[in-house]
Amino acid sequence: MDMPIPAGRAIVVQPRPGFKSLLPVLAVAAVAILPALPFVNPYVQAVVVRALIFIALGQAWNIVAGIGGLLSLGHGVFLGLGCYVTGILFNEIGLPPWFGVWAGVLVALLVALVMGSMTLRMRGVFFALATVAVSLACDQLARHFVDLTGGDSGLALRFLGDSLWAAQSRSPTPFVYAGLGFVVAYYGITRIILTSRFGLEMRAVRDDETAAAASGVRVFRTKLLGFLVSAAMTALAGGLYMQFYQAIDPESAFGLGQAIQLQLPALIGGLGTAAGPIVGGALMIVLSEVTNWGSTKLNLVGVDVLVYGLVLLMVVLWAPKGLVGMLSRRRVRR
Amino acid sequence: MTGAPPALEVIGIGRRFGGLVALRDVSFTVQPGEVIGLIGPNGAGKSTLFEIISGNRAPSYGTIRYFGQDCTRTPMHQRRRDGLCRTFQKVRLFETMTVRENIAVAARQTTQPGGDWRTDVASVLERLRLDTQADRLPAEITLADRKKIEIGRAIAGHCRVLLLDESLSGLTHPEAEDLIREILALNQSSGITVVVVEHVLSVLAAMVKRLVVLHNATVIADGTPAEVAHDRQVIQAYLGTRQSALG
Repeated sequence: MDMPIPAGRAIVVQPRPGFKSLLPVLAVAAVAILPALPFVNPYVQAVVVRALIFIALGQAWNIVAGIGGLLSLGHGVFLGLGCYVTGILFNEIGLPPWFGVWAGVLVALLVALVMGSMTLRMRGVFFALATVAVSLACDQLARHFVDLTGGDSGLALRFLGDSLWAAQSRSPTPFVYAGLGFVVAYYGITRIILTSRFGLEMRAVRDDETAAAASGVRVFRTKLLGFLVSAAMTALAGGLYMQFYQAIDPESAFGLGQAIQLQLPALIGGLGTAAGPIVGGALMIVLSEVTNWGSTKLNLVGVDVLVYGLVLLMVVLWAPKGLVGMLSRRRVRR
Repeated sequence: MTGAPPALEVIGIGRRFGGLVALRDVSFTVQPGEVIGLIGPNGAGKSTLFEIISGNRAPSYGTIRYFGQDCTRTPMHQRRRDGLCRTFQKVRLFETMTVRENIAVAARQTTQPGGDWRTDVASVLERLRLDTQADRLPAEITLADRKKIEIGRAIAGHCRVLLLDESLSGLTHPEAEDLIREILALNQSSGITVVVVEHVLSVLAAMVKRLVVLHNATVIADGTPAEVAHDRQVIQAYLGTRQSALG
């Protein structure tokens, strides 16, 4: 909140302005110089891109679930629409992804509008179940229209090599910067929402819908707007996903596994906070790589997934409000 | 009173839940600036009526008029924006927000054109003596102050009629007296019309000049506390014997 604080008031959380305000700048600078470092090979860069894409997707989901309190379990729908629409328009009519991705955003917005209009008046688990149902429907549609989507085996982009026009590159380096741009922009959007009237309304609706309405908040409109913003952000990040991976299939787009992956950065990092999905997404990828490396070295197939899952479980148990939430609480105690 | 329309008109309101009749042809009027009490034993229909007046529930039949305008189908958020404000029987605050933010939610929706919501929030905090708690979370403060926050949220911005749903319950005697003073001060300084729902008659008698008594889904008495306290039907409803309901 940007409200004035009366003089002489003790504030509960005393921020350390110097280091705290420098931290995001340092993090951005560290990622930005990464490709220039001699020991950072394309594999490491690709890992960084994966992390940045999942952070961006987590940031988008955080808007609707973290700030708005709407448990969307089918957010993969919007990722899938962003990917498929961008890819189909490029493959079929040669529309470059710079434009195609906006068509994906538009389709995602339309689907979100229909979904939201039908389900956001429901409370509790009904909205979550409805989003799962739409995911399953999209999965079946993607498998059915084989000529357009590639069916079960998925859709691969026509690869043109290094091409700015087609937003394609053999090297992951451009995607590091694109991913970084997404994360910074989404961080900024989250901060703006959190300090805006709209953010205040979303938080009020999340805490108590009836009390929010009794305070004059248009509950349905607030939820729908939050859902639309989140869907658009997810579809836009889907465009980056498509250009980086060069392919998409129904399971990667609409599968339950993907839907859970989208939620983890915010859940681990801290729901409803601007920094949470960044911290959570970074931890997820580091953890995934370390466990993967360890299981390969020890030749223990599948142990990486088990360890990865256990560590995530421990994080969630120890820090139910996410790592950022846990750190904030510790600062308050001090 | 002048020729101005009543602040609130409840006209023949009825509400059924399946076979259960919660309200039957309930009618009464509240004049601008009045402080009235709406009382009745548990299950009398007070809460249902309160929900209907505030717009959280639709009546099966009947009409609600707010300063002469039919608002029966107006949603709750719009009624709040029009100045029809309420609290809840069980305090409902935005628990992840500070006291200041709780009040700001309403102020940002209802501050009138030309006004500044920040000023509104600051004045509500000061008026209810919550300014020293402004940056705390609701969970960190006492029940009496939580009730004050809810009242602050209800009056922030634009408020013409304040509906208080058992705001005094759970408070100690001095806390209740303090809150009554605050409510009466609001009424006198800002001209806010107040409707107080309580189930204990003696609590309200010291606070209001008029009482409407609900029993078995309908209005059984409407008058001064003294008149109501000696009303045969009221005594029967509260005590089952012929004594004064004020005890």
